[in-house]
Amino acid sequence: MLYYTLNRLALALVIVSVVMLLLFSMIYLIPGDPAAVALGPRATEAMREALRVKIGLDQPIWVQFWNFFTSAWTGDLGREVLSDRPVAAVVLEQLPFTMALIFSGVGWSVALGIPLGCWAAVKRNSLADHIVGVISVAVIAVPSFVVAIYALLLFAVTLRWLPAIGAGESGNFFDQLVHLILPSLAVGIGWVGYIARMVRASMLESMGAQHVRTARAFGLPESRIVYQYALKIAILPTITLLGVGIGQMLSSAVFAEIVFARPGVGKLVYDAILTRNYPLVTGTVLVTTVLFVLINLLADLIVGMLDPRVRSGL
Amino acid sequence: MKKNTDFLSSSLSRRSFLAATGAFGTAMCIAPHASVSSDGSVLVLRSYSDLQVLDPAFRLSLPEEDIIRSIFAPLVVPQAGDVWGWNAIAAEAIEQLDELTVSFKLHDNIGFTDGYGQMTAEDVKFSLERIADPALESPYAGDWGALREVEVKDRLSGLIHLKNEFVPLWSTTLPTPASCVLSKKAMEELGDKITTKPVAQSGQYLLADWQPKQKTILKRNPDWSHTPGGFEEIHIIPIEDPATAERGFEAGDLDYTWVAVPSIPRLKENPPENSVLLEKPSLAYVWLGINQDVPPFDNPNIRRAVQHAIDRQVVVDAAYFGAASVGNGIIAPGLPGSRDSVTYDYDPDKARALLEQEGVSDLDVTLDILNQSERLAAAQVIQAYLAEVGINCEIKQNDSGTFWTLGSKDGDYWNKLQMLLQRYSMQPDPSWATVWFTPEQVGVWNWERFNNEEYKSLHDQGLVESDLAERDRIYRRMQELMDESGCYVFLTHEVVGAVHRNTIVPGLKPNGESLFSEFRPA
Repeated sequence: MLYYTLNRLALALVIVSVVMLLLFSMIYLIPGDPAAVALGPRATEAMREALRVKIGLDQPIWVQFWNFFTSAWTGDLGREVLSDRPVAAVVLEQLPFTMALIFSGVGWSVALGIPLGCWAAVKRNSLADHIVGVISVAVIAVPSFVVAIYALLLFAVTLRWLPAIGAGESGNFFDQLVHLILPSLAVGIGWVGYIARMVRASMLESMGAQHVRTARAFGLPESRIVYQYALKIAILPTITLLGVGIGQMLSSAVFAEIVFARPGVGKLVYDAILTRNYPLVTGTVLVTTVLFVLINLLADLIVGMLDPRVRSGL
Repeated sequence: MKKNTDFLSSSLSRRSFLAATGAFGTAMCIAPHASVSSDGSVLVLRSYSDLQVLDPAFRLSLPEEDIIRSIFAPLVVPQAGDVWGWNAIAAEAIEQLDELTVSFKLHDNIGFTDGYGQMTAEDVKFSLERIADPALESPYAGDWGALREVEVKDRLSGLIHLKNEFVPLWSTTLPTPASCVLSKKAMEELGDKITTKPVAQSGQYLLADWQPKQKTILKRNPDWSHTPGGFEEIHIIPIEDPATAERGFEAGDLDYTWVAVPSIPRLKENPPENSVLLEKPSLAYVWLGINQDVPPFDNPNIRRAVQHAIDRQVVVDAAYFGAASVGNGIIAPGLPGSRDSVTYDYDPDKARALLEQEGVSDLDVTLDILNQSERLAAAQVIQAYLAEVGINCEIKQNDSGTFWTLGSKDGDYWNKLQMLLQRYSMQPDPSWATVWFTPEQVGVWNWERFNNEEYKSLHDQGLVESDLAERDRIYRRMQELMDESGCYVFLTHEVVGAVHRNTIVPGLKPNGESLFSEFRPA
């Protein structure tokens, strides 16, 4: 298990480094001048040049990359161009909102996807199975921003049951929870379909496994066979899928944060790209990449812990 | 372990989960969502951007200007209503004594927070001269470019001495954050610009809380002894996307928001409950620009052919769904120099004749635009009109970060940039519109590279000419020169749309820009 963990950690470090290199190359290939945006139309060329020097844009790209990379290891992600605040602080302010959104989205997908998948597997080839299949494919096919807009129009604008914008009053847990319902549904609904399909397929496989057949031969109740024996095995690929899904939900979070005017790192990085706020773009993407890699690492380790075959496969 | 499992299963049974979910759903249905401002003490507004800098000398956006004016008392503020003017705030009295001198006297009881004492004429001197000081490198130094010095007469009075007559002083310098009075002591202790943490506030409101990307909360200043702000609290929600803000308003989460111009007809036809839709003339100006230094538009007749090829009314109607009218220049209606017509007309035969005269056929050109729906709609109509006279136009959409660098002389795209759809905004003085098209601005903000010495000379004259009729003549002539260059097809001044609850009276400048501290309950 130790070798497995170290192996995964080393891979994670390589992934983060490669992503940063690619990102750094990409943002400097697209045109745009953060100094012009930061200082506005009335700044003189001398003022813009002074700002470029201050934020290191006068340096060759490889020097900028090296400076960023070496500072990042110490936790220093630089300073934001517009407000001159530390990038790390800005990102950490926004991160909890996005994490809440994503984990609520995971909550929706797990709470709905697993029971639907189980039900479809148990009722294999029945009308219920077909209905679940159609619903699953439908929610996978519809983009999250479409779900977001329609949910908002129905529940916020027409019915006025739920708020349309914002993240709720700080310190008011109930208000924040209410503000999470629609955006997290928009982020998580597609994954309900993925998980339902995955759980159904895995369940069908595990329902035919020897230990399940043995349990059935012993006359154990069907519900116990399904939830205690079959689902326990079938859930493993779902954990791996969720690791990837969280990365996808990070992308969906950008739309959800814009449509629902929520704070969060998705909207932060979107705005930063539009304003060519390079330190903020690199800092935010570094943090989210690390987060994504860590979540996948965690998913791999959980699967490794639960399934000895994964460990022995090394 | 077994005990824990039992505990979980007993507390989270299917029955209890369903009961809790049902209760939650019922509660949501019984108590529909309501705006925070339902008790009338809190006003919830949308701003199009979050605050970044609270320093009057380094402000970046209009919402910041509004916040700055609310928390750092300015000498004067713009007047709310349909006529451009100003109201004194920190100044008890302020008047122009002669062309080069303005006298002021402060109210005797304006205090700074954080123990920085009372506002004095020395603070005014510090604040105004600070912005003008080249060492500060403020982008707004030009606001006080005509300032010679501020002379302190006594504790509350002083004189503002100008180097030369400066006509926009009362329209676009004093009624802006350039007249906000900061505490000299506090700023000297700070030793740097104010970022997002204000020091020594003094306005009608105080910045109580800033939750980045979430909201800014202003609270009524308890020590302000003049006309108080209209609400106990103002919550300013940063929402960049106008469609999101419109949905937020319709859902009852906002009391006031600007709306996108194309949404105005829809909101007129189907206004949200208990709301009022406002339409205000805008100071913005939108035009099709043609780069005179890049072939084939280095030929003036081809530029003129484009001017004659486009029916501006149809372009504007298509882009703004009939909500905006055609504009005839860069200076908005109501200001000196505003025109009723341009010197070219829609005449496709003339356009074809000009192209034929120059021996040009099947011309391929590009049109760069910002990736916004109304710009794309306008560009597509322009594309269709150009096709009718034999010009094939490719539309290139750009994100804002790219778009705003296209004509810069620092890059190399300016020598490929052929046509662009552009929109600038201005303050209520014509010089704010004309300044961007002078020869010094070529490759900075003058992307058509229009280079005319007479224009430059007239711009300089306009800054010191106080006779209204003469100013009108000067600025009309400048726009005629722009017409004659063939570099411009003026499209519209747009219109500003806003919706608000009928329980409030918004404080707005004549062009629809908000004045937070002027909002009042109905």
